[in-house]
Amino acid sequence: MERRLSEEDAAFRQQMRDFFTKTFPQDIRDRWHAGGEVGPDDIRASQRILNEAGLAVPHWPTEYGGKDWTTLQRHIYLHEMQTASVPPPLAFNANMVGPVIAAFGSKELKDRFLPATANLDIWWCQGFSEPDAGSDLASLRTTATRDGDEWVVNGQKTWTTLGQHADWIFALVRTNPDAPKKQLGISFLLIDMSTPGVTVRPIQLIDGGHEVNEVFFDNVRVPAAQLVGEVDQGWSYAKFLLGNERVGVAPVGSIKRKLADAKTFAATVRSGDGTLLDDPLLSARIAELECEVMALELTAIRVAGGSTEGKPDPASSILKLRGSELQQDVLELVVDIAGPSGLQWNRYDGTDLESWTRRAAPTYLNFRKASIYGGSNEVQRQVISSGILGLRG
Amino acid sequence: MDFTMTDEQKALRSAARELAARHAPERGEGDVPVGPHDHDPKTWTAMAEMGALGLPFAEDVGGFGASPVEVSIVAAELGSAGVQTAYADALVAASLLVSSGSQSGLVEAVTDGSALVLPALTEPQRAWSQTFSSMTASQVGDKWVLSGTKEPVLCVGSATHLVVPAQTNDGLAVFLVETPVVSGARVALVETPATLLLDPSRTPAALAGAVNLGIVTLAGEALGAMDAALSMTVEYLKTRKQFGVPLMKFQTLTQRAADMYVSLELARSTVLFAAMQLADHPDDAAIASRTKVVVGRTGRHIGQEAIQLHGGIGMTAEYSVGHLTARLTAIERTFGDPRQHLAILAGSVRDHAMVDVLS
Ligand SMILES: Cc1cc2nc3c(=O)[nH]c(=O)nc-3n(C[C@H](O)[C@H](O)[C@H](O)COP(=O)(O)OP(=O)(O)OC[C@H]3O[C@@H](n4cnc5c(N)ncnc54)[C@H](O)[C@@H]3O)c2cc1C
Repeated sequence: MERRLSEEDAAFRQQMRDFFTKTFPQDIRDRWHAGGEVGPDDIRASQRILNEAGLAVPHWPTEYGGKDWTTLQRHIYLHEMQTASVPPPLAFNANMVGPVIAAFGSKELKDRFLPATANLDIWWCQGFSEPDAGSDLASLRTTATRDGDEWVVNGQKTWTTLGQHADWIFALVRTNPDAPKKQLGISFLLIDMSTPGVTVRPIQLIDGGHEVNEVFFDNVRVPAAQLVGEVDQGWSYAKFLLGNERVGVAPVGSIKRKLADAKTFAATVRSGDGTLLDDPLLSARIAELECEVMALELTAIRVAGGSTEGKPDPASSILKLRGSELQQDVLELVVDIAGPSGLQWNRYDGTDLESWTRRAAPTYLNFRKASIYGGSNEVQRQVISSGILGLRG
Repeated sequence: MDFTMTDEQKALRSAARELAARHAPERGEGDVPVGPHDHDPKTWTAMAEMGALGLPFAEDVGGFGASPVEVSIVAAELGSAGVQTAYADALVAASLLVSSGSQSGLVEAVTDGSALVLPALTEPQRAWSQTFSSMTASQVGDKWVLSGTKEPVLCVGSATHLVVPAQTNDGLAVFLVETPVVSGARVALVETPATLLLDPSRTPAALAGAVNLGIVTLAGEALGAMDAALSMTVEYLKTRKQFGVPLMKFQTLTQRAADMYVSLELARSTVLFAAMQLADHPDDAAIASRTKVVVGRTGRHIGQEAIQLHGGIGMTAEYSVGHLTARLTAIERTFGDPRQHLAILAGSVRDHAMVDVLS
């Protein structure tokens, strides 16, 4: 055990901090920091700047832009990026499809897709969930049938985040309806969203925003070469994608940024003769959250060290579970701080309200999603109880 | 003590239920309004016609001689159907008009729906306070003028009058302002003529009584919203299938539904009791604060769990559960949040050995 950062890691941390707070464009950081719906242009611009600096996909194989960092360095990188409010690389590209193509794709697929994926020249979306296949993902029904050199895809995906901006979708499709287990007949297919037969319908969320969509496939013809890895092996690639990451599963840096913001906000809200930051119950709540976030951060660092060998790792469930809860708690605290000023959501001219108060409640409501997507918290508890504790009832 | 409804109260409940069903927001595919609703004159007229707007006030001042109990019954039906109105705010304002004793004409116009009088209580970037106002009142000859800003005042664009607490040389007083000029939800007054409703000697008790009425109205609405959120969740656990079985096969989910039910029933008892108590003692601040704490926490618990147990569908604007949670989130922070009310209660724990509800 060693508490201090090595000299090398301390220098690494300074290097990251300098890049994110000095080199990276301030205007993009400001817009990301302000919250609300962020335009696709900022996300694209950000990823390209990061990619140029070699910071978009550090966890990929080195020949495709990876850095061979230690897990601690990767944690430091994410922490510094998030606390500086730098829009992170698009998760669908950097953390989902990229690593799957890198691990299981042919050389041809890697060369064709990885550079464009790292640079966000291709914007990917994730086509896993379906109306009747949520937590029970393996029951998905979208089919792909072989016809000569093509797969013909029919069915529907849903909850497709940012599908409206996407150029391509990576989808789980059923290629063998007669497989002995439903997990066995699934393949991982890359589909160009501009192919005839693909339609996207927006879903409005409770905060009024449009970040998710339904995607329909009507006889969509996909070249056979766009199937990743082997036919009918898609389920194992999907499990790799969903569960292999220990690092970065909990957005510790973002949570800390928001909690620091909450204190700044509280200091601007007058209460009695002082501000809300002087309110003993409110500041106690802030202190409580700081303890909990510290414990989360330390756990993230502690378990990051273990090797995963490409298998789903139950430890990442701890981080997903607690990370989503604390993210939600901090956003709820901001609603408390906004108080009566947060009771209205509209933008209008001639207001004395600060914009964070208007965004507080919709943002809090929006982030109820964090305990639902990417494997709900109930599913995470299941993984912990059966995978770690061996409780298989 | 008896919590059962009289036949009259049951009749009122069915009338309110019908009204709420008729005016419930329509949702389906395509975009729908989210967040706080604008004032809807049709719903308001219907509420005036059924007598809801004057329910808690005595007949000789233009009311219908009922009590906060009846108000909470009506509010619960609105809450359960997701009908958002300025009901609580309008009752706060009307209560202050009634207390002033000088506005019988306006009270009548309020109860028949021809006037919409709203209270302007909240200030930008300031925590809720019912005893503080940075709005100042000064006398020019025998007339009063007000200067200062209140924001946000919800539905203020539709208001005909505002009731505004403002600071005079002698302390906080309450004023009436006609046809206020507003931008969005902001009321910025600059030497705006106003009528004195309540002088500083009468203001604290009148304001406390008015806000308590607002609190119990919102508590009633929250009860309805929580009822609806729980029953939708229970229904969903029975019908939604994953892993080849309905979700109710997963005990981790059904047990949480049971916890929601437990919270809800405790909140229900509290709200019904508070309504009865405030009928007898309109300015009982402790019961109002206890109700805010219990209902605020329950609304949070049930709202969050209702979304979580629904999964993705609970996040959508097409479906009601998220809207109910949004409304509960707002109610929790109207007229003070649980933390503030807890602080008020904490300040007086020395004053009693135990809480006595049977007196
Ligand atoms: C905002 C948002 C963005 C999303 N983005 C994407 C995306 O880009 N791509 C994509 O493919 N998907 C996406 N999803 C889908 C997400 O992964 C699913 O919502 C999630 O898998 C849950 O599925 P469901 O919504 O169908 O809920 P259900 O599976 O129906 O679950 C309902 C409730 O039951 C619980 N439950 C289900 N099964 C069990 C069990 N066995 N034991 C205990 N509890 C159980 C769940 O935890 C939940 O509380 C997104 C979802 C949201 C809300």
